[in-house]
Amino acid sequence: MNESENNFEPLRRLLALKRHEIPPPGYFNNFPGRVMSRIRAGETDAPQGITGPSWLLKFFQVFEAKPAFVGTFASSLCLLLLFGIVYAERPDAAAKTTLLASLTQPVLTLADATAPVLSPSSEQTGLMVSTNPVLSLQPVASLFGQQNPLAQPVSFSLPGN
Amino acid sequence: MIMAEPAARQNPETPAPVDEEALVRRARRGDLEAYDELVQRYQERIYATIYHMTSNHEDANDMAQESFIKAFQALKTFKGGSSFYTWLYRIAVNKTINFLKQRKNRTHMSLNDLDFNAEHDPDLMALISDKTPRRDAALAELQEKLNAALLKLSEPHRLVVVLHDVQGLSHDEIAKIMECNIGTVRSRLFYARQQLQGYLSDYLGPT
Repeated sequence: MNESENNFEPLRRLLALKRHEIPPPGYFNNFPGRVMSRIRAGETDAPQGITGPSWLLKFFQVFEAKPAFVGTFASSLCLLLLFGIVYAERPDAAAKTTLLASLTQPVLTLADATAPVLSPSSEQTGLMVSTNPVLSLQPVASLFGQQNPLAQPVSFSLPGN
Repeated sequence: MIMAEPAARQNPETPAPVDEEALVRRARRGDLEAYDELVQRYQERIYATIYHMTSNHEDANDMAQESFIKAFQALKTFKGGSSFYTWLYRIAVNKTINFLKQRKNRTHMSLNDLDFNAEHDPDLMALISDKTPRRDAALAELQEKLNAALLKLSEPHRLVVVLHDVQGLSHDEIAKIMECNIGTVRSRLFYARQQLQGYLSDYLGPT
């Protein structure tokens, strides 16, 4: 080991130059004061302006450490937002699809439940047969504004009116 | 013979250990005056370690302050299994290594000035060509080359060189700070020196 120490002696002498590097004059006179004032101010090593639970701070620290992660996260957010917008526009279409499906799909009505044989008249009145166990007294409302003969307007009156 | 080794061969445990224990106890109870005393004791060594690791005064200033603040906040978790300075060093070193990982591709040197003694250090002067008319300029260039070479080392290797060859800590102390065994410290030191010799061959000549 001594031999290797000797081999590195010139390097060690050169490294001694580092010891001559000194901060600006008076730097260490003010240093403790700066530390103590920061401690008194209750400062943490969290990034300035960001306060919150530790997991959130760690999350922000990951952002600082890995800029690529910020990009990935931002892209994911954008995709999520885009998906949200597209999906938000779909409920009408989805509702239509559901209604159309329910119209085309035979629905078992109470009348038919008692009549196991499908009569042609039932189709004419809009009553449909289905294997769906849901029982409905009212035929499904039409999407096309047709007056449904079985549907009756309901009005409610509050007591006292 | 190296002329100026102020911090280098200083034993970090030179301050009376009993006093230190008392100061730590008081600081744990929230006594800021006691902690101020501890900061004054270790500020130069902590600053120097971080500065030699980063080669940047502003970064060293921030990191050193934050290390002391973090140490104060974590004092309650300090069990006394190691000495306070080892524990403090560990905080500073971990903070510095994390910082260096974050600024991986941003290496901006902001070097401190050399003190007056540097120009009168015969060992250093011997490394500068005698034909150089302006020795201070040559010394500044040497300083820059040396720092650039250190920055080429990986953080663990640089840390070992800084703590041993610049700060003057023993292998044992470095092992405690870096939480590894002495063999690892020795092998890292050997490898780091070899690397540095390659980078600084212009100044070192044939060995």
